Amino acid sequence: MKLLIRIRAAVINGLRELQANKVRSLLSMSGIILGVASLVAMVTVVQGMVGNFRQFVDAMGGIEKITVDKQSLPKEQEHLAELSEGLTMRDVEQIKATIPIVRYVSPEARVGYEKIVWEGREVNTMINGVTPDWLPVAKRWVNPSEGRFISDLDILHKTDVCVLGSSIVAELFPPNVDPLGKVIRVKGKRFIIIGLLNNIEAQGMEIRSASGKGRGSGGMWRWRNSGVYIPISTAMSKFNGNDRLSGLGLQVATGDDLNYAVEQVERTLLQTHNGLRDFTLTTNEQTLEDFRKTEVAFKLSLGGVAGISLFVGGIGIMNVMLASINERIREIGVRKAVGARGSDLFLQFLSEAAVISVLGGLIGLVVSMGIVSIMNYVLMQAVPTGVVSKFDWIIMLQGLSFSVVVGLIAGVYPAIRAASLDPIEALRHE
Amino acid sequence: MGSLATIRGLHKAYVMGDETVHALDGVDLNFDRGEYIAILGPSGSGKSTLMHILGFMDTPTKGSILFEGEEVSNLSPDRRAWYRSNRVGFVFQSFNLLPRLSVLENVALPLLYREDYTEDAREEAAKIALERVGMSHRLTHRPTQLSGGERQRVAIARAIVARPAIVFADEPTGNLDVKNVDRILDLLGSLLAEGITVVLVTHDLSVAAKAKRVISMRAGKVQEDRLQ
Repeated sequence: MKLLIRIRAAVINGLRELQANKVRSLLSMSGIILGVASLVAMVTVVQGMVGNFRQFVDAMGGIEKITVDKQSLPKEQEHLAELSEGLTMRDVEQIKATIPIVRYVSPEARVGYEKIVWEGREVNTMINGVTPDWLPVAKRWVNPSEGRFISDLDILHKTDVCVLGSSIVAELFPPNVDPLGKVIRVKGKRFIIIGLLNNIEAQGMEIRSASGKGRGSGGMWRWRNSGVYIPISTAMSKFNGNDRLSGLGLQVATGDDLNYAVEQVERTLLQTHNGLRDFTLTTNEQTLEDFRKTEVAFKLSLGGVAGISLFVGGIGIMNVMLASINERIREIGVRKAVGARGSDLFLQFLSEAAVISVLGGLIGLVVSMGIVSIMNYVLMQAVPTGVVSKFDWIIMLQGLSFSVVVGLIAGVYPAIRAASLDPIEALRHE
Repeated sequence: MGSLATIRGLHKAYVMGDETVHALDGVDLNFDRGEYIAILGPSGSGKSTLMHILGFMDTPTKGSILFEGEEVSNLSPDRRAWYRSNRVGFVFQSFNLLPRLSVLENVALPLLYREDYTEDAREEAAKIALERVGMSHRLTHRPTQLSGGERQRVAIARAIVARPAIVFADEPTGNLDVKNVDRILDLLGSLLAEGITVVLVTHDLSVAAKAKRVISMRAGKVQEDRLQ
């Protein structure tokens, strides 16, 4: 408790010193201000980018996803083209039957980019034939209050039902109309709306959309919120006229099994395709790996820059403290003569350094807000649909404590100098 | 009156370059409570060194000091700081008030380093001390706003605020005009009534003439010790 009282007195004294030497104090703070400002601003912006990319990868199906696409045959196999019928439901059955670590298999039969019509209003969007597995593989869901997704029964009976993305709902229906149960027309055929997909919103950052607000807004996520989904069997029989798939999405139980699963799927597909390599497998792993490297590089380089400026800030504080002690040798002598211990003076000068660094850190936080706002503004001008970094109080707190640590370290040496001055010598100092 | 401090065989040697300077060379003295003493001597006579050692700012090379019955010749720096803040007051030739603090804060400064004083108690004690020296009308002034005589009165208030047993005044009138010299010396003399031992350290005979006992020093030794 007594130490607390001493620290309190020392801090009050430090504030007074600061007030008495405003210009000098501000100059000595400038290093800390810039250090904290750059540190917090950089970490905030990098964090925004990182969060953005994480979500992007997740929106692509996450690390557990394998995508199978059609591919034209390699040259040496071209003459064998008729031996393979391409991706079909047979591949789906085969993968399901032979590779247990593949949890979901989502075949897609794309109908195409078509006009959909409701009561004279129309929108163009992609029509996709899918199965129930599409939901988990795409990491999407249908809120219970917004109907249901396509079921196995819909597939079996080739029903004329559809599920809409949120941006389609927003464009096709007035806000006061419940789309569930309404009938839309696609290429002259009628489909009942049985469900609405969840609206994808980016988290941890704001989405700026040029196209307005409400259901279905959403910048770079916009394409994910569009689309009309119908049973794959309906798509094949009513539109495509064949059972060819446009692609396959697979989800592995865990990302650890990914490479093994890729091998297995490749082997199975080569079998069902009679050895023809008319498909290609892609994962998000490479993307994620590239992104991780970028993240580390950003953090190291920006952190390094900020660290150097904080270091320089610390040296600035030490410099000013040493100069201030030199000016106040007599004061130190007087304080010792009237009964101050070495530890009292140590505490006094350490507190002064701490007060400078805390104030500098706080000003630095304000400056960092300005920097991030300007960067956001510039980014908005360049990319109107881009993401915006948000302030995170944890980052700010870290920046502030960083500055306090730097200030305390920088203050130790001057404080020791002050504490160890000989009172008689100090009093004689002119 | 009773003895305040008894020193026996006090030596203090400094090494300066390859020479050893004997600032004190075997000093034996006794100070009673409430004595008014002048230590007289030219510069280099050892009077300042004696003051520093008796004022707990320095330690002797050899010899013993019995202060209020305790042997204090070899104390730790923190223990000496305790004596400075509890038992000793200093008045300097150049006042040594802190320019950024008000008169009241300057006087309260020694109590800042005492754990037995709250903020209110410090202020209260400082006001009493300032009243004692006739400066209670200048509490919020800065030292630079005061005349030399006024500054020295504030410095005396600072020296007595912690109720010390002994006050050392090092050339207290050296920076004052004639008119103020007597007032300051009278003020110092009036402290005796409170049982404080006052020690004037000076090379000025006319200042020393105010004291009841004059100790003349030369080359680190007591040359003469007489009552007047």
